Amino acid sequence: MLTIKNLVTQYDSIKALDDISFQAKPGVITTVIGANGAGKSTLLRTISGLERPTSGTIQWFDKELTRMSVEAIVRGGITQVPEGHAVISQLSVAENIELGGLFRKRIARGDLAKATTEVYELFPLLYDRRNEPAGSLSGGERQMLAISRALVSRPKLLLLDEPSLGLAPLITAQIIEIINNLCRNTGLTVLLVEQNANTALKVAEHGILLALGKVVADAPARELINDSALRTAYLGY
Amino acid sequence: MESLLTAIFSGTAQGSIYALVSLGLVLVWRGAGVVNFAQMGQAMFTTYIASQMIQNDYSYWSAFVVALAAGGLLGGLVDLGLMRPLTSRKNSQLLNSQSMRNAIPIIASLGILGILKALAGIIWAGEERGFPGPVQPNPISFGSTNLAITSFDLFVIAVVFFTLLLTTIFFTKTGMGLAMRASALNPEVTRLSGIKVSWVRTLGWIISGTASSLAGLLITPRTNLSPNTLDLLLIIGFTAAVVGGLTSLAGAVLGGFILGYVISFVSVYSAPENVFIAILLFLLFALFVRPQGILGSKEVRRV
Ligand SMILES: Nc1ncnc2c1ncn2[C@@H]1O[C@H](COP(=O)(O)OP(=O)(O)OP(=O)(O)O)[C@@H](O)[C@H]1O
Ligand SMILES: [Mg+2]
Repeated sequence: MLTIKNLVTQYDSIKALDDISFQAKPGVITTVIGANGAGKSTLLRTISGLERPTSGTIQWFDKELTRMSVEAIVRGGITQVPEGHAVISQLSVAENIELGGLFRKRIARGDLAKATTEVYELFPLLYDRRNEPAGSLSGGERQMLAISRALVSRPKLLLLDEPSLGLAPLITAQIIEIINNLCRNTGLTVLLVEQNANTALKVAEHGILLALGKVVADAPARELINDSALRTAYLGY
Repeated sequence: MESLLTAIFSGTAQGSIYALVSLGLVLVWRGAGVVNFAQMGQAMFTTYIASQMIQNDYSYWSAFVVALAAGGLLGGLVDLGLMRPLTSRKNSQLLNSQSMRNAIPIIASLGILGILKALAGIIWAGEERGFPGPVQPNPISFGSTNLAITSFDLFVIAVVFFTLLLTTIFFTKTGMGLAMRASALNPEVTRLSGIKVSWVRTLGWIISGTASSLAGLLITPRTNLSPNTLDLLLIIGFTAAVVGGLTSLAGAVLGGFILGYVISFVSVYSAPENVFIAILLFLLFALFVRPQGILGSKEVRRV
């Protein structure tokens, strides 16, 4: 269970997150939707420890994350796929994947090999191009690679920042389907940040709507999907 | 024919030392974004330590090993004791401006250079002294002609090639090498992969310190040792690093060798005093023809 209470994150004097509280249940997808600048990325960056909150708490089961380092949070099973297909273009596809599991190399070599095989099975296309630089991949392929890098760390909580950004609807659907299956089959918990509310609400169990750093709706996804008043007010369509 | 062979051999021997210096500079530049002006000051200091040990009747090889270890230690200390505290203070007013953020570590490295030179002056009276190699510099002959290459030059070339081989294996075949490359290319993604980037950066300073210490041990049998002897080597190494693209390790090494040949060809076919102007012209030429360096690539961004 991810429990966020009264979280405030500021950039200088601007409150990008203004007193946010919500919970994300284990083993399901919770989506965080909102317009540009709503504070979605800031929320994920604060969970990962890349930004430090001015106040509030973030708990993953009984672990308090706000004082842990970025690396310790990842090693604790919380992995982020940042915005914009974050892969290292100069490294090969295989090296990008290896990087994600590097910290487990000594403690769980056998499982690391297994996790690597698994992501190649999920995305066979990456296996075919494993020796090419990640910079030569298309946008969708890079997103698959970024997700693979996260998956080999065997996360318990996966933070996805706008995986659909710049991708064709078909590719987005494919990626979301794979994430959905992982949730069902492995008990993975997912916090899915999306601007594309429809796609996200269809797969998620629960939805959080952010606007200007505040939570303006916190409800089961199927309720949000039908709430056209809310949509017009905050997402503009 | 004889002078051609001389130029080639001595270019290779000198170029291999420049390659080490340039590699050390690039390692720190890629990892920490700092041009470490103290680098050859550190090497000067560790070479003095080796020289002191040899004076006290320790063997060349024990002095060699201690100097390398001291070089690594000094590099690590500079990072932990100075660079890390200086750059990690996020809420300092001064550090809020990006240009100050870039300038402060450079100024700090100049400060360390000054301190190391002063210390060497105090401890070793700053006098110029000789420094031995492990072998006598006997000229090697080719047929009946003596080449301007000695057995010591061969030793230098062998040691550097062995070092470069180890470095290549480290960077391409080990997890730690991958972590170092990744940290330099994209620190945020690397941290999000659970890797402690700040420690990886410290390791970069350590390797850089060791490589430059080695360069100091290899160059001083030719140049003698004084607090200022290695200054020129820093300039040449920096030029080599820029020619190589500043971010590419292979480019740094290649740049070192190219500079070795430029310098030795100019001194053999022109005159040794023209070397400085040749370095400068070469740097300008290289920047003009390939501003991104011989092996550097233009940053390609796609979304
Ligand atoms: N590094 C930063 N420095 C200053 N302000 C920032 C920084 N990053 C974000 N902000 C501001 O914080 C607010 C929230 O930004 P954030 O990136 O979290 O939004 P978002 O919901 O992810 O938007 P998008 O959908 O465009 O990705 C915005 O007003 C933005 O301008
Ligand atoms: Mg965002």
